[in-house]
Amino acid sequence: MLEARSLTKRYGSHLALDNLNLIIKPGEIFALLGQNGAGKTTTINLFLGFIEPTSGSALINGIAVEEHPQEIKKHLAYIPETVTLYPNLTGLENLQYFSSLAGFNYSKQQLSDLLAHAGLQSQSFDQKLAGYSKGMRQKVGIAIAVAKKAKVLLLDEPTSGLDPKASNEFSEIIRSLAAEGTAILMATHDIFRAREVATSIGIMRQGNLVSTISAQDISANELEQLYLQTV
Amino acid sequence: MPPQLLIARNFRSNALKNRAVYLLILFIGILITYAVITSWSGFVKQNESTAHHQTETRHDWLDNPDKHPHRMAHYGNFAFRPKAPLSIFDSGMESFFGNTIFLEAHKQNSVNFSEAGFSTGMLRFGEISVAMVLQILLPLLLFFIGFTSIAAERENGTLKIILTQGISWKQLILGKIIGLAQIAMGVFVPVMLVTFVLWFFLQDGHITSDETVRLLLVFLSYGIYLLLFCVIAVLVSAASKTSKSALISLIGLWLMLTIVLPRASQALGSYLYPAPVKVTFLANIEKDVLKEGDSHNPDDIHYKALKDSLLTAYGVDSTSQLPFNYSGFVMAEGEKISARIYNSHFDNLLRVYDAQNSFLKATAFLDPFVAIKNLSMSLAGTDYRTYTDFQKQAEAYRYAMAQKMNELQIKYISNKKPGPDEKPVVIDQKHWEEVPEFKYVQPMVNTVFEHETTSFFALLFWIGLLYFMIEILSKELKVN
Repeated sequence: MLEARSLTKRYGSHLALDNLNLIIKPGEIFALLGQNGAGKTTTINLFLGFIEPTSGSALINGIAVEEHPQEIKKHLAYIPETVTLYPNLTGLENLQYFSSLAGFNYSKQQLSDLLAHAGLQSQSFDQKLAGYSKGMRQKVGIAIAVAKKAKVLLLDEPTSGLDPKASNEFSEIIRSLAAEGTAILMATHDIFRAREVATSIGIMRQGNLVSTISAQDISANELEQLYLQTV
Repeated sequence: MPPQLLIARNFRSNALKNRAVYLLILFIGILITYAVITSWSGFVKQNESTAHHQTETRHDWLDNPDKHPHRMAHYGNFAFRPKAPLSIFDSGMESFFGNTIFLEAHKQNSVNFSEAGFSTGMLRFGEISVAMVLQILLPLLLFFIGFTSIAAERENGTLKIILTQGISWKQLILGKIIGLAQIAMGVFVPVMLVTFVLWFFLQDGHITSDETVRLLLVFLSYGIYLLLFCVIAVLVSAASKTSKSALISLIGLWLMLTIVLPRASQALGSYLYPAPVKVTFLANIEKDVLKEGDSHNPDDIHYKALKDSLLTAYGVDSTSQLPFNYSGFVMAEGEKISARIYNSHFDNLLRVYDAQNSFLKATAFLDPFVAIKNLSMSLAGTDYRTYTDFQKQAEAYRYAMAQKMNELQIKYISNKKPGPDEKPVVIDQKHWEEVPEFKYVQPMVNTVFEHETTSFFALLFWIGLLYFMIEILSKELKVN
């Protein structure tokens, strides 16, 4: 579970995040919408422990991030906007390396299963990542996240630059992870993808969460209108 | 496997996939091979030549016919300086030092026949020795490989994923340091093995514990030195936003550490504590010796007090009535005086050099290159200290030889001058054996600890400083 309690981040005079209160339960996918600089990535970085809050707390499964920055890493996985990884290594080698860092030593078969589960074609497993498309690299990123068996997943613009098919496949995987009980926070610009995949949607503006809507209660067009009016 | 070792393995294998790294390692390998071959052949040539001439000189000395001992004192002898076994690793200042001194009565000649004296000015650009490659070029290679170690992870976005996997900054930094150190050891260990084999065989099996300790200390100190550069490379990379800025910082640092700081501190030391030029130094000694009179002349006014005291003590009217050779006695006194004057000037000169070098040595706390350079030369026996030690041993031998001849003159030569028709006064050639052969003995390794305390402490200081930096940066570093 993810929880933000009056979470605030200030850089000098600039208020990057203002008093955010948020709870994302297991199985929920919360999409944060907003323009650049609205505070989406700041929120994710605060949950990751990469920056410290000015005030308030970010909690992962009830553990305060700023107090136990290493401990909370066991409970979360992260997929950035662009999963670069190591171009000289194959998909399997990348997955093996990152899962080993997290303390999981999988067999080659298990690693292959993880990549297949993330939607990667088996013929790509032993190819160098340098030859992968962005969509394929994102799938390796998903496999790395899944391999950690984390119950919290943080996604920063994960479908940015993906073609519609890859983006759709990505959404399917995210939904299946949520169905397995993972709490997911996803920052995105993609209104339609947010509407399609999320259970709840938050719209941010200038560091404030100005609107929270249930994805089931709003159509794509209504969401677009609301977004344009809000930002 | 601990995460640090996983990170190390990943870094090492990625770095070694870069062809440029292989080319640089190949280039360094060629330089080291060249350095090994030239230093090995130089060692063999000089030591064979030294041994040959030492034997020849000894035979010439012993083959002298019966003659006046003072003529033998002026016939003189030669002191040859053999190369130290570890000079094959670090030639240090070897090429700028002479290796032969002509030793004669009354005069302290300077050392001749340096390599530099027989070379073109190109030698001023520095010799290629194994030590030079390890001190200067290997750190550059480590910087070249290490600049991307963490900065590239930051640029690629993999840094965030690594840290999200539960890896701490400290584990990441240590992992990268281990990976870079493994590459460094991949070059360093074979180089030291080759050095060991050459060192072993060049001594014809006469390995002393002193030489072994020196070799082990060389191994240890260079291992530490290279590790320091691995740490510096990784820390600069970790603190840089981009790989490009890390590379620029590291190259700037390399230039500062290996070129600017050592030369600047040396120049500053020479400026603040100017040493006399050689001609002035020798002229000053000559001037002071002349003030003390001419010991060849028994009636020299400077020795009047000595003469009067002897005549009184023995109750005689003239020196010819003394029960020993008075000329020999005066010359023994003259030798004492001239040796004291020379040693005093020489010690003053050494004090000036020490003052000059104190600047350079203190720089070791700012620059590990200075620490290893001084330490390495000292351990290899190719530093200025070892050279002056040779000069001192040669002077001690010269003094003993001259005084032995004076002693023989006092004892065996009559006070009566031979007449114009009489044979010159001589002594039997068997006495020449009483002067032992000169054999240079390298100072023990404990003198290295005495003279290079600053360098040892500087290396320890750098270990502490970089450990402290790892601790601080592990807490302060940011992902972006």
